[in-house]
Amino acid sequence: MKKIFFRTLYIAVAISIAVACKPKLETPSADKGSLDLTTYVAVGNSITSGYADNALYNAGQKVSFAKLLSEQFQLAGGGAFNVPYVGVNSVGIGSTRGARLGLTYVTDCKGVTSLSPKPIAASGDATIFVPIYAADGPFHNIGVPGAKAIHVVVPGYGNPANGAGNYNPFFYRMASAPITASMLSDAVALNPTFFTLFIGNNDVLLYALSGGAQDVITPSAGSPGVGFDASVDATLAGLTAGGAKGIIGTVPDITSLPYFTTVPYNGLVLDATQAAGLTAAYSSFGITFHEGANAFMIQDAAAPGGIRQITSSEHVLLSVPQDSLKCKGWGSTKPITTQYVLTTAEITSINNATTAYNVKLRSAATVFDLAFVDVNAFLKSAITGLTFDGINVSTTFVSGGAFSLDGVHLTPLGNALLANQFIQSINAKYGSTLPELDVTKYHGVVFP
Amino acid sequence: MKKLLIILIFLSPLLVQAQGFQVNLQGQKQQSMGGTGTGTALDEASIFFNPGAVSHLEKNGVSVGISPTIANSTFESSESQSQARTNSPVSTPFTGYAVFGQEESKFKFGLGVYTPFGSTIKWEDEWKGRFLLTKLQLFSVFIQPTVSYKISDKIGIGAGFVYGIGKIDLRRDIPASDGTSDGSAKLTGNASGIGFNAGIYLKPIEKLSIGITYRSQVNMKVNNGNAEFTVPSTLSSTFPNGAFSSSLPLPQVISIGVGVTPIEKLLITADVNFIGWSAYKELSFDYENNTSKLEDTKSARNYKNTFAFRLGGQYSIKENFRVRAGIAYQLTPVRDGYVTPEVPDANKISYTAGIGYKFADKLTVDASFTFEDFAKRTDTNKEANFSATYKTYIAIPGISLTYNF
Repeated sequence: MKKIFFRTLYIAVAISIAVACKPKLETPSADKGSLDLTTYVAVGNSITSGYADNALYNAGQKVSFAKLLSEQFQLAGGGAFNVPYVGVNSVGIGSTRGARLGLTYVTDCKGVTSLSPKPIAASGDATIFVPIYAADGPFHNIGVPGAKAIHVVVPGYGNPANGAGNYNPFFYRMASAPITASMLSDAVALNPTFFTLFIGNNDVLLYALSGGAQDVITPSAGSPGVGFDASVDATLAGLTAGGAKGIIGTVPDITSLPYFTTVPYNGLVLDATQAAGLTAAYSSFGITFHEGANAFMIQDAAAPGGIRQITSSEHVLLSVPQDSLKCKGWGSTKPITTQYVLTTAEITSINNATTAYNVKLRSAATVFDLAFVDVNAFLKSAITGLTFDGINVSTTFVSGGAFSLDGVHLTPLGNALLANQFIQSINAKYGSTLPELDVTKYHGVVFP
Repeated sequence: MKKLLIILIFLSPLLVQAQGFQVNLQGQKQQSMGGTGTGTALDEASIFFNPGAVSHLEKNGVSVGISPTIANSTFESSESQSQARTNSPVSTPFTGYAVFGQEESKFKFGLGVYTPFGSTIKWEDEWKGRFLLTKLQLFSVFIQPTVSYKISDKIGIGAGFVYGIGKIDLRRDIPASDGTSDGSAKLTGNASGIGFNAGIYLKPIEKLSIGITYRSQVNMKVNNGNAEFTVPSTLSSTFPNGAFSSSLPLPQVISIGVGVTPIEKLLITADVNFIGWSAYKELSFDYENNTSKLEDTKSARNYKNTFAFRLGGQYSIKENFRVRAGIAYQLTPVRDGYVTPEVPDANKISYTAGIGYKFADKLTVDASFTFEDFAKRTDTNKEANFSATYKTYIAIPGISLTYNF
């Protein structure tokens, strides 16, 4: 009987170990549905290129939403996705020729040290601006920093002979033939089976970034290369000519980007003496100041005397020199100059154009029978903050996690979230079951 | 005979109980019988199962037992089509009971030391839920001095004071990257709480016994926990190390159980537990040093009251050799929208079996085996917007030694 007891015990232990086996769950499989993902081509601007922290640099390119999408496509039969990489050790270079930004301790004019974005090198890496197509092309990521919707169809968009400011050096380096090629012609030459078209931001953004002082908002009307609508039509006609399927993203409301929302309109904090002094100084304009937070003074040619206080719905741009605000009387005795301010009139122009672009993009998706992702709606939902897998994300500068140190472009986390928006729309349209990205694998702003 | 036993072990549903973060592993005989024990006076474990039944124990005795718990959960994200598993260490809930009383006295005194909850769940590195939880270790010991009084051969009452001590170790990652790795938080602390356990035992006729018990809620409070943060150096002032306080309620439980002896060698038992989980409304952490990023947190848990149904049996093959089996069905207290990786809970069925052998007049060995099968559960945690499908198995072999005198 003892024997039986011990044998039973022994068997029980054996069973314990056996059932300690891990529970199994069936993994759903990635299916491409009605898609052919053999050749994916991404057409777009800096966002598509992976530009971040005010520069095009290697680590950013590796996590562009387009590159991330291609990796998910490869789980369902997608082909190679060639990116015009900058060297791994390059400090990168931006549209304003600076190196990429990093967070570092900066001491301001008042001697206060705080963590701030600063270029990691004195200047950007201009050595990247050499043609690399022959050696490394063709490229599937045709995301060109600075490109507007109207630029996509322009031949010779990368032709240096057009002179500085009239050609795009980022396209020059990656074009098949800088003198003759357009972004579209290079895309079409790859015979895409699938494409993403995420363009139009710069058609309003370049104007907005300069506070409306430079550049112009692209009109809806006009021929390809001039007007937004015809340029989009020509681009889609070209991309779909070979039967490719694809997805279009809307233009986000750029005025909700951190670049426009970080500096508070009422950042002029005064004590009673300062307030009285300013009130006296501006008495002829009838502007009064009080102790505490006051609206900044700005230049506005339309205002009486060319100056006024900014309103709560207007924006001081992230580009405004902080030391000038803090120590040189900017925004108080010296009204902030127009290139650092978006006024109500400018905002209205931007909003009207954005709305018109998005109406066009939505109808184009219908006409060309393409998937459609409302990036603008997603951005707006993020303003108040969203949570994904326990990560809180918002449009707040630095701590919001989604936007990089330039306040316009995305962090790796922001790119992954954007890519997931594309994947959801693609799956809905084409009956595919492409897996979304695990966003926890992508970080926000890097803290030293 | 051997064959029969083996078949019994394989086929008989026995039971186990772990519910929420509570484990119900307080006696090998009772574990073997689906976790029933409210309506019987089987052994010293009645100190836990029904203090009223202690007075009806025939002998004095001392008993020690252990139930190594092997839990495995699998996680799946349907969105990213990825999986993760736990690699939790084996946890070892234990019991120790002693019952004494003069032969002529109607009083019996007892002391119970047992583990009402105690588990470690550790998810694999880099898993998708790491910003919710990477590891949670909960361990507690309840010490319960008990008095039981035999009003008559048909009625016994008893009660015990419960003093609980415990510790918590909770870890999660923080989404603050230095470029190569994320930050992390480690919250450790000691907890304590008090409560009581009371019961009535009735034996109206020879073939039937009935028990009713009430175990009070025990609030395990962490008063001087230690919060440690590993974050990029520029954020260290934003995440200051320091003290925190928190608390975790262990719910009240009302149980009714019966034991029936239709034939001499067979005992059939059944229990119903009402578990007052609605007390677990939130998990809050109150940090001593708050900053803009480190605010006190209150995470809604919103558990609901729930039931467990248990059925068991014991058959005496010989005078000194008994086999047991049981089954239990436990409803989850966790509502949809609140499932967390701390406790990937779901409704579950427990199958239990066990054997008991009396080596000599005074020495008994009881062994049990429990297998818990959690229903597959898919849920999106509202607070973290974390979608998950979980499946969990728990296997618990256990053994105890009892010396009677």
